[in-house]
Amino acid sequence: MNVTGDSEKRIESLLADPAYADHPLREPLAQLYRQFQDQLRQLDRITRISDRYQDAARSEASSLGERLSKQLRQVEKIARISDRYQSMLRELNERLEHESTHDALTGLANRRLGLARLAALIAAEQAVSIALIDVDNFKRINDAFGHEAGDRALVGVARTLRDPLGGADLVARWGGEEFLLIWPQIELATAIQHAHALRQAVGACTLGIDGSVLRCSASFGLAQRHDGEGVDELLRRADAALYAAKEAGRDRVMLAR
Amino acid sequence: MTDLKISGSTSTPSIECTLHPTRVHMKGDSYPENAFELYQPVLQWMEAQLASAGELTMDLELVYLNTSSVRIMMDLFDTLEEAHKRGCRVAVHWYYDVRNERVAELAGEFREDLTLPFHIQPQG
Repeated sequence: MNVTGDSEKRIESLLADPAYADHPLREPLAQLYRQFQDQLRQLDRITRISDRYQDAARSEASSLGERLSKQLRQVEKIARISDRYQSMLRELNERLEHESTHDALTGLANRRLGLARLAALIAAEQAVSIALIDVDNFKRINDAFGHEAGDRALVGVARTLRDPLGGADLVARWGGEEFLLIWPQIELATAIQHAHALRQAVGACTLGIDGSVLRCSASFGLAQRHDGEGVDELLRRADAALYAAKEAGRDRVMLAR
Repeated sequence: MTDLKISGSTSTPSIECTLHPTRVHMKGDSYPENAFELYQPVLQWMEAQLASAGELTMDLELVYLNTSSVRIMMDLFDTLEEAHKRGCRVAVHWYYDVRNERVAELAGEFREDLTLPFHIQPQG
């Protein structure tokens, strides 16, 4: 640049020097010099404009980049929150599913789930034995000791029936003080053994209420599914056996015909 | 400028925007088919109110929000945040049922990156 600056000064002073006013090269040089100056100004202008374009493009790119990363952060936040809402719903669904298939007091399967399990086994043509169980003289417990004691008795019986020694695949609360036990793929003799063991276990349970000791017993109506038998008929036979057990004096297991 | 009331349904919250006090109250679940259509009047009401009164309280009792509602809520909060930075008096109260702590956690997610007063309060 200095070199150019220096030669520019030299040419300007030569052109201004009156000694060369009539020199034949003076006029063409002056013309060339003007053109050179014009082009220099033009070049400056182009450079300035081009620099401004570059600046604008660069700041636009960086603001686009900022906007993009802001929107990305926003989308990530939406997705994160939305995912958490979905898992909240899923947990709620699971809880509702559990509540709609289980008994709140005893935690056992409810009648709906018991019936569904039995229907599924029968639909699959599986061998199955069931027992309908009724707590003996339950009304008397309720009347004598109150509903709270009755509830505690039901919880105790439920816990006993669920004991692994009973070998049941599913224990359901069938109604007020009635329970359903399901044993799939079992020999009748084994089901009878299990039923006797559970009946004894229920009888061995005690419940302390207001200083007195409460003892429960239960009657069992046991039925093994006949080939081709449906849910209703199987349940009807078990219920009839339960009724027979009650009639025969309670606290016993009766086998359905 | 008048009050704005949108009654709720099983899939949309009840929304009440009142001038005295300057308050937006939303209660319920929000999974509308068209969240933008539902919330656009609310956003406009809020913007107008912030411009004229310069204050706004938002009381929320929202439980479930679908994705587009989450997005809109973030827009509503951004509007409040900008107003807060301009000097408007704004506040958010998000109430949740103590039996559902997850709602509080979600409100906390919304609160992140915001500097306006945002209270998450147990109820019942």
